[in-house]
Amino acid sequence: MSELDAVIDTQLEAIDEALRSGAVTAPDEAERELQALALALAADAPEADPGFATELGERVRSGFTRPPRLAWLPRPGMPQLAGLGVAASILAAVVVAAALIPAGSDDESAGGSGAAGVQQPAPETSGDSGIQESNRPRSASPSTGEGFAPGRRERAIERTASLTLAAPGNRLDRVADGITTVTERFGGFVLRSSLGTGDEGTSGGSYELRIPETRLQPALLDLAGLAEVRSRSQSGADVTSEVVSAADRLQAARAQRRGLLRRLESADTDAEVDALRAQLDSNAREISGLRSALRGLRLRTDYARVNVQLEATGDGSSFGGGSNEEGLGGALDDALGTLSGSLELTVRALGAAIPLGLLLALGWAAARTARRRRRDAALT
Amino acid sequence: MPRAAGDISTETFESLYERAFPRVYAYVASLLRDRSAAEDVTAQAFERAYRKRRAYRPGRGSPEQWVFGIARNAALDELRRRKRHADLHAEPEDAGAPTAEDHAELSLRREVLRAAMAGLDGRERDLVGLKFMGGLSNAEIAHVLATSESNVGTRLHRTITKLREACHERA
Repeated sequence: MSELDAVIDTQLEAIDEALRSGAVTAPDEAERELQALALALAADAPEADPGFATELGERVRSGFTRPPRLAWLPRPGMPQLAGLGVAASILAAVVVAAALIPAGSDDESAGGSGAAGVQQPAPETSGDSGIQESNRPRSASPSTGEGFAPGRRERAIERTASLTLAAPGNRLDRVADGITTVTERFGGFVLRSSLGTGDEGTSGGSYELRIPETRLQPALLDLAGLAEVRSRSQSGADVTSEVVSAADRLQAARAQRRGLLRRLESADTDAEVDALRAQLDSNAREISGLRSALRGLRLRTDYARVNVQLEATGDGSSFGGGSNEEGLGGALDDALGTLSGSLELTVRALGAAIPLGLLLALGWAAARTARRRRRDAALT
Repeated sequence: MPRAAGDISTETFESLYERAFPRVYAYVASLLRDRSAAEDVTAQAFERAYRKRRAYRPGRGSPEQWVFGIARNAALDELRRRKRHADLHAEPEDAGAPTAEDHAELSLRREVLRAAMAGLDGRERDLVGLKFMGGLSNAEIAHVLATSESNVGTRLHRTITKLREACHERA
């Protein structure tokens, strides 16, 4: 502390002492002078008119009653503004969170318990290899529209998922049945399947499924409910550029075909006709190839590829040891799925609410500082 | 409905009013230098404090500091209003002016002091008002002004020194 600071502190203490004691007590002349000044200032404090003091005292005791206000009229002041601000931020957070939730999540409620409805026969095994190729027609088409609708469908995403399920050997057949049933229930089909057999019956297998992309999540949830999930993964590849390119080329080829047909109508010589027909044949092959490519692409994007590996567990007491336990396991998986869905929604809502809250807090602090400065400016 | 921690009850508010009213009025009057406006602002401040008493939190300072903060804001709003309306700063009607019975020396000292006070700028008058009219400690003033205690001490010392010199010159 500097010498000047020490002097200031001593003089301030002297002033406080005079205000406390109501007398000039300091030995130092300068301090005595300051004490006297402080006492004079305190003594010169304006006093309220007794009538005003009495009137205000009565108003305090009566609780500052005033004429009743209509309940619906807003009261002036910040609490109301703050309330409106909080309500607006919550609303904004909900709107943003809703916008962030994938559109397909509605479908999740469509899926029931994976254990239910396992009534279809299992795919037949063939001979020692136990491998059977099965190509089924589409049981449902998830998207029949041409081109792409705005929004989420603007991007063409090829989705793949893989799932490894494990069940006791004596239950593998039932799980295999369940895979087919769930796949068909969600409008998908089994592209390939194989089941291996051993001394004690089925020992494992693999399924290549195609499931409508829009119903992939609930279908995976139901598939996971069929047995113990050993592993699970999902991925997506954006093939929008391929789709757009093929569609453009198809459009161009069709335009070219129209032009060739017009020229054919007005062709005068046989040679010209032959040349145009040759070009039309070539064009037809091109159109056919492009349509086929586009169909293939749409199949890849409309239907997700799902690979399911089925494994046998050593003991029969693990997941799904009995039908009741299978139901319980499925229910638990469903519950976990629901819980993770709720958690996801909460995290998304928080992700929107926290930055909004921070912005509001910053705005509030800035407004408060500005108000304080405006007020203080009245003193200059 | 249970009261929140720090919530000021009606009885406590009455007691707070009894304790703080004379000092709040003196401070506001010294800042505004207009007794009529000081009455309005003081009444407004206490009414505002009464209506907001449930929002009071002890962590933000003592009830007195809280009321002084409200009164200061109301007084500054009044000063701003006057500035906007290009009103002249009216001197308070001098109810405390020396009477015939007052000692001549005391009368002279008061006059000198008031003239010196008139030479202070708004911020200095605010500080002097809080300290000598409001009777707040430096720590309490720091809380009301949202600044540090050492800053208040330094400014207060500078202001009172300035006042003393002004008194010397006028004497």
